[in-house]
Amino acid sequence: MATNAIDQTRRMLSLVTYLRERPGAHVQDVARAFGITEDELISDLDVLPMCGTSFRGGDLLDIDTDGDRIWWHNPDDVAEPLRLAADEATALLVAARAVATLPGLRESDRDALVRATAKLETAAGESGAASSRLSVTFEAEGGVFADVDRAISERRRLWLRYYSPARDELTEREVDPIRLFAVGHTYLEGWCRLTEARRTFRLDRVAEIRLLDAPAAPPELELRDLSAGLVQPAAEDPEVVIEVGTGGRWVAEYYPHDSAEELPDGGLRITLRTPDPASLRRLALRLGGDGRIVTPPELADSARDAAREALAAYEGAL
Amino acid sequence: MAIAKAERLMNLALCLLGTRRPLSKRELRGSIEAYLEAGSDDSFNRMFERDKDDLRELGLVIETVENLDGDTGYLARRDSNRLPPITLDAEEAAALGLAAKVWQQARLAGAASGALQKLRAAGMPESEDAYEVHSALEPRIPVHEAAFEPLMLACRDRRPVTFDYRKANSARAEQRQVEPWTLECWRGHWYLAGWDRERGAERVFRLSRITGKVRSRAGAFTAEVPDVVTVRETVESWAGEVATRTARIRLRAGAGYPLRSRATAVRERGDGWDELEIPYGHGLDAWLVEFGPDVVVEEPADLRADVVDRLRAVAKD
Repeated sequence: MATNAIDQTRRMLSLVTYLRERPGAHVQDVARAFGITEDELISDLDVLPMCGTSFRGGDLLDIDTDGDRIWWHNPDDVAEPLRLAADEATALLVAARAVATLPGLRESDRDALVRATAKLETAAGESGAASSRLSVTFEAEGGVFADVDRAISERRRLWLRYYSPARDELTEREVDPIRLFAVGHTYLEGWCRLTEARRTFRLDRVAEIRLLDAPAAPPELELRDLSAGLVQPAAEDPEVVIEVGTGGRWVAEYYPHDSAEELPDGGLRITLRTPDPASLRRLALRLGGDGRIVTPPELADSARDAAREALAAYEGAL
Repeated sequence: MAIAKAERLMNLALCLLGTRRPLSKRELRGSIEAYLEAGSDDSFNRMFERDKDDLRELGLVIETVENLDGDTGYLARRDSNRLPPITLDAEEAAALGLAAKVWQQARLAGAASGALQKLRAAGMPESEDAYEVHSALEPRIPVHEAAFEPLMLACRDRRPVTFDYRKANSARAEQRQVEPWTLECWRGHWYLAGWDRERGAERVFRLSRITGKVRSRAGAFTAEVPDVVTVRETVESWAGEVATRTARIRLRAGAGYPLRSRATAVRERGDGWDELEIPYGHGLDAWLVEFGPDVVVEEPADLRADVVDRLRAVAKD
C-alpha cells in the first residue's frame, strides 16, 4: 500500500515514542514491530532529523542510523504514547468485534479478542464512540470451519463432498488446504487432488467434510492477492453477452463483468468472461423475461431446452 | 524542492505537543521551515488550516486559546493527548494484529495499522509467530464501493448527505436526502441505514446502487437516531429470507442440494423424485426456476403459476 503523508506522520509520531525506550534498536526489529518494510522505516528516519520543536533554535530530533541500528542522541519527553484517533479506534474495534463473532474461531483466540476489545474500548474513550456506526457480519458457516482450521494447522489432507452450483451436483474430492479466508462468505483455498489445480471452496457449499490421515502436500504456490476480487477471469475465457431489462440490472452487481452498456429501454448489455459458459444456464433460467443470453448461442439453446422440459411437467395440470 | 507534507505535519505536531503555552500562528510560522517557504500569507493560512485538520484526524486534540491581546494561540496539551494506560498480553496483541489486517480499504487499513503502532509504542508486546499458534483464518472485509468513505465520515460526524440512488430494478437514479446512521457489511456488501428526509422514514440503501458522488449538507440531523438500527433484518427481507409460508415441491433425486439443506421435510417418493417442504418467502420462484426440469412446484398455486410464467418466458425465446 502506498504511504500517504497522513499515515507516515501517524507512524513517525509513534516511532519517536518507540525509539525513545529502545536506544540502539535494530532496523529489522523496528520495521517488524511497526508492520512496515525496512525501506519505509529508513525513509521515516530520513525525515525525522528535519523535525523538531523549532528548526531555528536547533531543537531538531538528533536521530540517525547506520542502516542496522538506530540511535537517538537527544531524546526528549515530547514522545509520549498518543491517544487513539476516532478512525483508529473505529478501524480496530469494528474489526475486532467482527472477527470475534466468526463461527469456528478457536475459543482461546475469541477470548483474547474479547479481552483486548474491552481494554481498547476503555483506552479509546470517546474516540471509540463512533465505532458503533460501522459493523460487519461474517457468515455463519461454522459447521465445517473448525475441521478446515484444524487441517491447516495440522497440515492434513481433507475429504470433501462439495456442491457445485454450476452443475447442480455434489462431487467428492480430496483437497490439500492452503488457507482459510473470509470475504463476506468463508472460503477454503486448497490444492484439489481431483483436478490437480488450485481451487477455492465456499464453506457453505461443503456438504460433508472429513480430516484424512494423509499429510497435506500442496505444491509451492504464490498466494493470491484477495483485494483484487475472488473471481478473476482469464483473458482466454470465452465471452458471454447477456441483455437484461430493468428487472435484471442486478446481474451487473453480482457478476464481475468486462462491460455493462446502457440500453435505451433502461436495460443493460453485459459482457463477461467465464471459463465455463454452461454454468450460466442457471442465470438464464432465473432471469426469465428479464433478460436473455445473446452469445454463445449454445447457452441460449440449452436454457430454452431446459425451460421447455420443465414446462412439460406442468402441462395438463394447469 | 518543496518540503514533504509529512515533514511539515510532524513539525507542527511536535511544536504543538512540545509547548507549555499557546503558540501564535506567527510563532509557528517562524519555527517551521515549510511555513517560512509558504510564500504569501494566504497560502500559509490555507496550509496551516489544512494541517491542523489533518492532525485532528490523527487524533491530536489541539486547543485554541485567545490571549489578552486578542491573538489566537494553539497548543496540544500533554494530558489530553496521552493514551490512557493499557496493558495487553501477547495473546491479546496477536488477536488485535489479526483484526487489524481485515480492512481492504485504504483509510481504515491505514487507521488500523496506525492504532497498532500507537499501542506498540505504548508497550504492546510483539508476538513472533502469531500464525503458528492461532486460527489459520484470514478474515477480510471487502470495500469496493466508492460511496463508502464519504458515508463513513458522514456517519461518524453525523452530517446529512445527498446522493443519487438507483433502486434495484430501476434504470434511473433519483436524488435522496439522507441522515446517515450506520453502515453495515453483510455477505460482502455494504448497506447504509438512515433517515430519508423526503420520505420521512427510515430507509436502507445498498452502497453499490449509489451512483455519482456523495455530498455533505450543512446542518444537523432532524430525526432522532434510534438506539438500535436493524439493517440486517431489512436486507434479509429483500433477499427473501424471511419466510412466511411453506411450499411443497418435487425434486429429482440427487439434484438440488441447497434446496435439500434448506428443506424442513424431505420424503422419498420412490419414482426418482423426492418431495420437499421449503420455507417460502419473496424470491423463491426465481431460485426454483434455476433448477430447470429438476424441480416441479406442487403448491401453493401462486408460486406454481409464477414459476410457470418464468419458464414460459425462457421457453419462447
